[in-house]
Amino acid sequence: MLFKLQKKTLVLSQIIGYALTIFVGVTIILATSQLYFDIKPLLSQQTEMFKSKSAVISKNISVFKTIDKEKIYFTKKEIIELENQSFTKNISKFNSATFKINAYSKKTESVPVFYTDLFFESIPDTYLDVKTDEWKWETSLDFIPIIIPENYLNLYNFGFAESQGLPVLSKNTISQIEFNIQISGNHKSKDYKSKIVGFSNKVNSILVPEEFLSWANKEFGRINKNKTSRVLIEFNNPTDKTIIEYFNENNYSINKDKLEFSKLVFFFKSALIFVFLIAIVIIVLSVSFILLSLNLIIQKNKELLVNLYNIGYNYNRIAKFYQVSASLITLISIISSIIISNFIRNYYLAKIINLFDFTANKNYILLFGISLILILVLVYNILLIRNIKKIVIPRNEK
Amino acid sequence: MQIELNNIKPTYMSYAEISASDVYLRENVLFVKGEKYLIKANSGHGKTSILNFIYGSSNNFDGQINYNKITYEDTFNLRKTKISYVFQDFKLFPNLTVFENIQLKNNLTNYKTDEEIDSLIKQVLLGHKKDSLVKKLSLGQKQRVAILRALCQPFKFLLLDEPFSHLDNENIKIISNIINQEIQKQNSSLIMTSLGEAYFFDFDKVLNL
Repeated sequence: MLFKLQKKTLVLSQIIGYALTIFVGVTIILATSQLYFDIKPLLSQQTEMFKSKSAVISKNISVFKTIDKEKIYFTKKEIIELENQSFTKNISKFNSATFKINAYSKKTESVPVFYTDLFFESIPDTYLDVKTDEWKWETSLDFIPIIIPENYLNLYNFGFAESQGLPVLSKNTISQIEFNIQISGNHKSKDYKSKIVGFSNKVNSILVPEEFLSWANKEFGRINKNKTSRVLIEFNNPTDKTIIEYFNENNYSINKDKLEFSKLVFFFKSALIFVFLIAIVIIVLSVSFILLSLNLIIQKNKELLVNLYNIGYNYNRIAKFYQVSASLITLISIISSIIISNFIRNYYLAKIINLFDFTANKNYILLFGISLILILVLVYNILLIRNIKKIVIPRNEK
Repeated sequence: MQIELNNIKPTYMSYAEISASDVYLRENVLFVKGEKYLIKANSGHGKTSILNFIYGSSNNFDGQINYNKITYEDTFNLRKTKISYVFQDFKLFPNLTVFENIQLKNNLTNYKTDEEIDSLIKQVLLGHKKDSLVKKLSLGQKQRVAILRALCQPFKFLLLDEPFSHLDNENIKIISNIINQEIQKQNSSLIMTSLGEAYFFDFDKVLNL
């Protein structure tokens, strides 16, 4: 009877409006936060080399610089100036070899005989995008691990091998091939075994471990030739306009692709945060809307509710119908959101797994959804009891 | 159970308006078990107010009301089993039927069976209106429903606020018989307000407001 009486006080369009908005808001929140958790390791993996926002800087090479090579190096003053720029968070130098390097194979080996000049560079390990156990060097070892850019391999497979009628090589095959390295300088030389242990997408250079290069530069390098031609800069904010302006002014060349990727990550995160905030606004509005609607319903039916209290129904029992209604609608809407968010997640996971080597993160949708249900139901129950109590209990107007 | 009024004064009435009253501003105005009381006054002298104060649906008074010598902050708990009230404005639910309105009250204590309620409705000549919405009834019919509803609970006091204002003599006779039976059955008291003399009950005490 009480149910029949109170049911008539609800406005269907308001309930549907609330159910829809809370559904949309919660679905967006759940899906975007889960997307963020899922993508986060992928983003950090992709940008590991360039931490959050960074790029490789070198000097532009002009006709004059081909004559006076000294001008391609950064002076100490220039590096200090770079360090002091407001957009610079951290700066790291590329170390280059200042001795002669040859790579060759011997006739007896299974690889075709070759002999070529090489160069080496190194960067701190934290900026590397290749992780392998073979990336280590000790003075006692006669082995130097090498990382080459992935595009060198592409250049060979799709350019050189094609035109010379040579076989194409997979990453795996190349990593199996051992060859020799001879380094020489200061009237001495040394031979090492070597192997390509990884392919970098980030650093366009032939890399060896930093410990090795520092040691070899001391042993074989030309004295006072330890100069820096490339540096890696971490930015506070890669979208800072002053970065490009500063580099143009100083005639520095910036590896824009990397900066673009960092920017992309930054924009992606910003967009995600933006969508998340919009969803928060939608939820806050829909919760305010239902509270306002329920308050209007209570005010509009004040006489009915007071009459119920007058004939002996206590405020808990009067409020129960509205509490159950609000809780049930919230429950149904958010459970639908949880189901739809899981569908969305499965959809994007399927896409991402096709594109990247990727393992999905833990699914937080259910946990977040249920926490949200509990919070909202608690808020509605407390507020409804309070409002109904305020309406039905006679106020003392003394 | 007895109800005791001490120095009651509605906050919205002046001393001059109530100085001659037998109830307001008096010490130890007692309503005791098994007695029938008539509170008489013209319009605007606070008849409904005194019943509202006793029932607890208004707190706008100075003074003290004790129930069995206890002063309650909130008299709500007396409503289910101790005090029943026929409101002057009925306080019925227009979107429920006659039977549903009575059942809504009866559901709180399950005091009467459906058959008993049916029989009461028939006795007050509303058998044909049992399933009609209350908003479609005349004032007299609504008044009968309100009285029946008040009888569907255990009580020690029955408060009647001008209960027969819209009824003809025949209906008054029927209703007052039913009320008398219920009061006797429950061994309870009755406090009724009226504009003038009322001859349908043997009142033990008549108080002028």
